[in-house]
Amino acid sequence: MRFSSDHKAIGLHYLWLALLSVFVGMALSLLLRFGFAGAEARLPWLAEWAAAPQRNGTLAVLHGSLMVFFVLTAAPQAGFGSYFLPLQIGAREMAFPALSRLTLWATVISFAIITSSFFIPAAERGLNLWITGVALFCLASLVSAINFTVTVIDLRGAGMSLPRLPLTVWAWFINALLGMLIFSILLGSVTLLLSDRLAGTHFFSYSVRAFMLAPAAQVPGAFSPVIHQVLWQRLFWFFAQAQVYVAMLPCFGIVTHLLATFARRPVWKERAVVLALCGVGLFGFCIWGEHMFASGLDPYSPLVFAVLAWSLGLPAAVLLMSWFATLWRARLQFTTAALFSLGFVALFLTGGASGVLLARSDIARAAANSDFVTGHFHLVMGIAATFALLAALFFWFPKMFGRRLHESLGKVHFWLTFAGVCCVFLPMHWLGLVETSPGSNFHAGDAGVPAVIPAFILVAMVVTIAVQLIFLGNLLWSLLRGETVAECNPWRATTLEWSVPSPPPPDDFGATLPAVYRGAYEFGAPVLPVPAAATVRWVDKDFRPQHLAPDETAAS
Amino acid sequence: MPGKLAQHDIELIIEDIGRGGGGKPPQRNGGDDGDSDGARRRDSSRPPQQNRYYTAVIVAIVAILVFFLALASAYIVRRGSSANWTPVHIPPILWVNTLVLLLSSATLEFARRKLAKADFTAFGKLWMLTTILGLLFLAGQFVGWRQLQAQGVFLASNAASSFFYVFTGAHAVHLFGGVIALLYVAARKSDGTRLSRSAAAEVTSYYWHFMDALWVFLLALIYIGR
Repeated sequence: MRFSSDHKAIGLHYLWLALLSVFVGMALSLLLRFGFAGAEARLPWLAEWAAAPQRNGTLAVLHGSLMVFFVLTAAPQAGFGSYFLPLQIGAREMAFPALSRLTLWATVISFAIITSSFFIPAAERGLNLWITGVALFCLASLVSAINFTVTVIDLRGAGMSLPRLPLTVWAWFINALLGMLIFSILLGSVTLLLSDRLAGTHFFSYSVRAFMLAPAAQVPGAFSPVIHQVLWQRLFWFFAQAQVYVAMLPCFGIVTHLLATFARRPVWKERAVVLALCGVGLFGFCIWGEHMFASGLDPYSPLVFAVLAWSLGLPAAVLLMSWFATLWRARLQFTTAALFSLGFVALFLTGGASGVLLARSDIARAAANSDFVTGHFHLVMGIAATFALLAALFFWFPKMFGRRLHESLGKVHFWLTFAGVCCVFLPMHWLGLVETSPGSNFHAGDAGVPAVIPAFILVAMVVTIAVQLIFLGNLLWSLLRGETVAECNPWRATTLEWSVPSPPPPDDFGATLPAVYRGAYEFGAPVLPVPAAATVRWVDKDFRPQHLAPDETAAS
Repeated sequence: MPGKLAQHDIELIIEDIGRGGGGKPPQRNGGDDGDSDGARRRDSSRPPQQNRYYTAVIVAIVAILVFFLALASAYIVRRGSSANWTPVHIPPILWVNTLVLLLSSATLEFARRKLAKADFTAFGKLWMLTTILGLLFLAGQFVGWRQLQAQGVFLASNAASSFFYVFTGAHAVHLFGGVIALLYVAARKSDGTRLSRSAAAEVTSYYWHFMDALWVFLLALIYIGR
């Protein structure tokens, strides 16, 4: 790999890292469900490692770490954001290109640390290493957030006032502000946590220590695999809670942007959407941060899921309303990117419905740790965010590589994946409710629950993961052989990145930077009055790019 | 590419909405950002391509403040929830250190005034004095640690001592960053193309004053929390 400071190369490197993580993470989830039955015979080292008592807990945490940190947190913000934010605001670079490079490599190193921590036989040392890796990831994300914030504040091109910012940029900006606060707090708490574990300090009070430091504090000398597994998972949630918002915010921006582009309609109530994005950030930080501050960095609360579900309610309703109103009576172009955006909306709505259940604290308390939460969380955060990422990839692929991803293969991939994840995660909700409903003695292994359900989930999971090979094949084939895109703007989109050749040249905009004359969503009927004398190059088109000067709408 | 020619229209539109993109009204050369120097001049003395450094230091200060607030909230909650709290006796040299740091902020301000009057030799001297005072503060903090250790108070002795070492240590690390920035500004030979010396000095001074105020806050927190 080249050590480039170019924002486009850096964004691509983040995306490749995310691709690697997502496939390793899926393989791990298979391993989790299947166990090591077949593999042990062939791979002796794996058998030895697998014999460790905390195996399943650590595998789940490794799966979660890779997916949450390197896919859901890094890809939408640092990946697509680094690539397209400067292009969309009319800048040639991030505010501090050297810092972008630094954060990229810090993230790669933290990936290596986190992954290697699971292969260390001594579990205590592995845990310390994992926390160190997370600390490095937090530091890199914090610096990256500062870089993003400054870029949006100071590097916007001529005419790119705040109301004209595309919603993707708004989402990246608000997310950077949010990340700045969240990652600062996480960094503070990880400092204390590490010094408790390494230097024997006493930052966390006894009740918290029972959760956070159980093996060292409660069973000196003895090794308790059960406690240890719980410990790993607690620590993981300690860090992952905050990431829910950080992962979802850019996805909201991307989906809104794409739906407007493919519906050929302005975003309905664009200002309200911006406010809703701010609301997600503000609520997210206030609730999570208040919880952290008020409890003195106490990581554990049984109401976490309830709080998450409630706090998203109002802004989520505004976003959903805007999406539906934008789509209302629109002649949506059903491209693969549009399908994945719609898939995001559908899954988000489903998740909202089941989240209402979790918002009742009694149910939340009963259902915490059950399959219900697993299903809910995966569907809303994991799969929905992945759909937004795939939508963004299909949308921007022509710009990034000058070739299209294969549309028909993409659609097959979408429908099979959509059906697949529903078959995997919806029965999980039901399974979780049956398991935890009061007065029932059902458990997954018991005769009471039809054994066909877990088996069905397993089969659906294998099929869904196998379907992802279609995507991988599509990606590799399209990179090398895909249909080339000659025009700058194949989707007839309005934002600035579509005014430059594909792929963008190293200096992005050539000799002169573009000036911006209008908002980001001028689709459909003309918004500015067209002079009467105009015979009109642009009036017969159903969109006006941001860089299009007013007299060009009128000129012949 | 469209959009290069219609300057009047841009200006009309921008007058309509009352401001240009990024607060930077485009002029004769049309769209431009920080890359080509001197293409645009603002009314203020600050060239637009340096705005990013001012913004960055303010944003970084907010982030660092949140970091220390997280530590402080942990301290307050931990202090309130523990039954047997053995307070740390603040080593007397810390009060001297505080004076040294306050003094360094003052010399830094004087240095900046000399720079504004283009009195470069006086600026250089006062700037070096600030740097030396900063290093003196760091050395003083180290002496304070040794004094505590001589009393048998170590990092892992009790919760109060742990917090004391982490507060002073984290602050020292951040202040050391400030010392490096001071040295960097002093070592600059001429005005850089992207970051002029006066801007670098101003940005560094923001950070330094913040470190100063942060130290007073932390000391007060430790003192009150005894």
